[in-house]
Amino acid sequence: MAEAIHTGEIRPPPTVQGTWFAWLRDNLFSSWVNTLLTFGALYIIYFAVSGVWAWGITNAVWEAENRRVCFDINPDGACWAGVLAWFDNFIWGRYPRGEMWRINLGALLIVVWMVPIWLPGVKDKIYVGFSTVFLYPFLGFFLFAGGEKGLFLQVMLSLAIVVLIGNTLNGYHGVRSGRSLPEVVIAGLGMKASSDKVQRKTLLAIFAAAFALVFWAQMGWVLVSVEWNLWGGLFLTLVISGIGIAFALPGGIVLAMGRRSQLPVIRILCTGFIEVFRSVPLITILFMATTMFPLFLPEGFTLNKLVQVIVAVCLFNACYMAEVVRAGLQAIPRGQYEAAMAMGLGYWKMMGLIIMPQALKFMIPNIVGNFIGLLKDTTLVSIIGLFDVLNMLKAVSQDVPWRGLHKEPLVVGAALFFVICFAMSKYSRHLEETLGGGTQR
Amino acid sequence: MATSDTSLVKSQPKSSVSFFYDERVRNFFYQTITAGTFAWLVWYLFTNTAHNLEVRGMNSGFGFLFQTAGFDTDFKLIEYTVGTGTYGRIFFVGVLNTLFVSSIAIVLSTVIGFFVGVLRLSTNWLISLLALTYVEILRNVPLLIQIIFWYLGVFALLPKVKQSADFLGIAFLNNRGLYVPSPVPGDLFWMTMTAFVVAVVAAFMLRRWARRRQEQTGQQFPAFWAGIGIIVTLTGVVYLATGMPLSWDIAALQGFNYQGGFALPPSFLALLVSLTIYHSAHMAEAVRAGILSVSKGQTEAANAIGLKPGKVMALVIIPQAMLAIVPPMISTWMNVVKNSSLAVAIGYSDVVALFMQTSLNQSGYAIEIVAITMLFYMTISLTISFFMNIYNKRVQLRER
Repeated sequence: MAEAIHTGEIRPPPTVQGTWFAWLRDNLFSSWVNTLLTFGALYIIYFAVSGVWAWGITNAVWEAENRRVCFDINPDGACWAGVLAWFDNFIWGRYPRGEMWRINLGALLIVVWMVPIWLPGVKDKIYVGFSTVFLYPFLGFFLFAGGEKGLFLQVMLSLAIVVLIGNTLNGYHGVRSGRSLPEVVIAGLGMKASSDKVQRKTLLAIFAAAFALVFWAQMGWVLVSVEWNLWGGLFLTLVISGIGIAFALPGGIVLAMGRRSQLPVIRILCTGFIEVFRSVPLITILFMATTMFPLFLPEGFTLNKLVQVIVAVCLFNACYMAEVVRAGLQAIPRGQYEAAMAMGLGYWKMMGLIIMPQALKFMIPNIVGNFIGLLKDTTLVSIIGLFDVLNMLKAVSQDVPWRGLHKEPLVVGAALFFVICFAMSKYSRHLEETLGGGTQR
Repeated sequence: MATSDTSLVKSQPKSSVSFFYDERVRNFFYQTITAGTFAWLVWYLFTNTAHNLEVRGMNSGFGFLFQTAGFDTDFKLIEYTVGTGTYGRIFFVGVLNTLFVSSIAIVLSTVIGFFVGVLRLSTNWLISLLALTYVEILRNVPLLIQIIFWYLGVFALLPKVKQSADFLGIAFLNNRGLYVPSPVPGDLFWMTMTAFVVAVVAAFMLRRWARRRQEQTGQQFPAFWAGIGIIVTLTGVVYLATGMPLSWDIAALQGFNYQGGFALPPSFLALLVSLTIYHSAHMAEAVRAGILSVSKGQTEAANAIGLKPGKVMALVIIPQAMLAIVPPMISTWMNVVKNSSLAVAIGYSDVVALFMQTSLNQSGYAIEIVAITMLFYMTISLTISFFMNIYNKRVQLRER
């Protein structure tokens, strides 16, 4: 057979292959049905794009004092002037205008804090993640809420700042030389030859000194208190969903492990909890939080609405995350559990060292998908009266000069969410590809 | 360890440490602690709640369900009159409204989702690009923003009553909603309905017979078209023979508003449209993933035995893809029901808006109302997942 094929004259490959013409022919005009579909699609695209372009760009009004002026200039176009006038409110809500730098600084700091995770060569990235979840909230709380700070907050705030500085230096040295900060410090002090114990004590002493210095410095910092009901806009949306995300993963892991536990009492409680929260809509849980939490708590002890909402969002998302984690745990072959047990590892070591690291890798796309869902679901807090980004978008039409301006702010809000969520989902696909390589044989 | 330490163990009395390391003892210990903590939490919340209710002078119990509610709703599928209608009645009005909007949205989003999902895999680059854009835009914008956009940005801006859009003189669309004809069954209409049911059963039996014959003899029978024929003829003949006992009540402009017909308020339309398109995007992704999960060899094998492209899809790809499509499809359906609760943002009278918001604010029976509403959603979810499990079991059996 092989001979028969090779004896014939070898024809050159078709010349048009790989050119734009061939691409057009294969992908758009392969048959008359396809050609028809292509022209139909072109018409739809033209129709949609030209309509949006005319409304949003060519006929749009960018500068006007109020909606009436917009109408007088061009009634067929978007009135972006109203959106521009309200844009600060979309992002910062009703936060006092003089204090807005605090939110910006907080946003900048969390970016600085987390950047080392994405830098090549940085060591101990897992601690960067942990410290973000456990220490940043105190720094954020101090910046955003301000006011009198108690001793506990002062300690945690100082700790956060020291860790942030150390973290940044660690990232810097990691990129420059691939060494971690402790190594650099020890080398700088010329103590490489000393014993581990001495090294550790020295590092601890430096840490304590830095802590004392920061603690002394922060005593003089005073920020004006900003009540929670002035928090709003995209800032509030990100605060709620950020806390939800930070809580959902550990909460979900605990619940999922409980659900897969051998102990019937724990298993039944966790399963019941997860199933109840997953089978009802988030809005009913938010209503429950605002109407029933006050009844649950002892008399005289009240939570403000923001805390109620955050608790509800955290519980809700932990349950959804639990199912993601459970799916990830189920994907781990039984042999891994058995091998870990055969090595004599206890339950927690088995989970922490063998199972979870593998399972988390599997789960990344679903975890990110859940985060996107959480971010989108956070808009529901507008229904129970928090001034999140959606309520701010709706508030434009209540403002006297812009009365009735509904469409434009909502389009801007939709675009805002689209950019954030789309970027996240693209990033998760990228992660899936880079991390998935290790698991495939 | 154990063998080398036997001498040590012998020489010492049993310590409390080794007792605690007994697995059964430890399991019992952990479970007792968990159960105890849980019981304490329940008791703590219960006493707090009881105390708070007493301090605030709030009533409790389910008696309020039989009290008159005293507020009206703009959309109801069952009889409800202000003044005599009870909170219990309001609950059922809300439940029916929720089920009404979500069932229509489920059907529409499934159909559109399948369509878009198939388009997404089209070999035509532009078509698949269009489908991709549709899916990505809809999936990445919060549903609540979409609902409010459709409500405030589209349906509230429709023409006034006097300038209603007129569809062939039977349906009218204006800023108060969509007026469609409502059916008014006559005396003998039950016979047509019976004929319809009989015809459907007959069509199914015909299909079973045709399938069995094909398995035995290989001969094909156009069971689908024959079934449609049976249903149309039988129902039509009975309908005509009994003298066409179905009339339509068409809305008509009287004074300042339309009277008669079946009025669908703008909030319903906005909710229906946004639920449908939002979930159709999710459905499309499920369909796409399901079809991609069928290996390419299946398509090639089907082509090789000479099946036409349509039959390749219908007989080879779709049946296998359904295994992967059904679970996410059903969870999307569940999400439609749950997300219909966002109706409260635009004032459509679903169970959350009517019962959990208005009734709760009016009557103050917070715990009872929250519990009933959650029970309703839980019942729906559990029912759906029950059928889902049955389906999964059947599919798994068939796979062997």
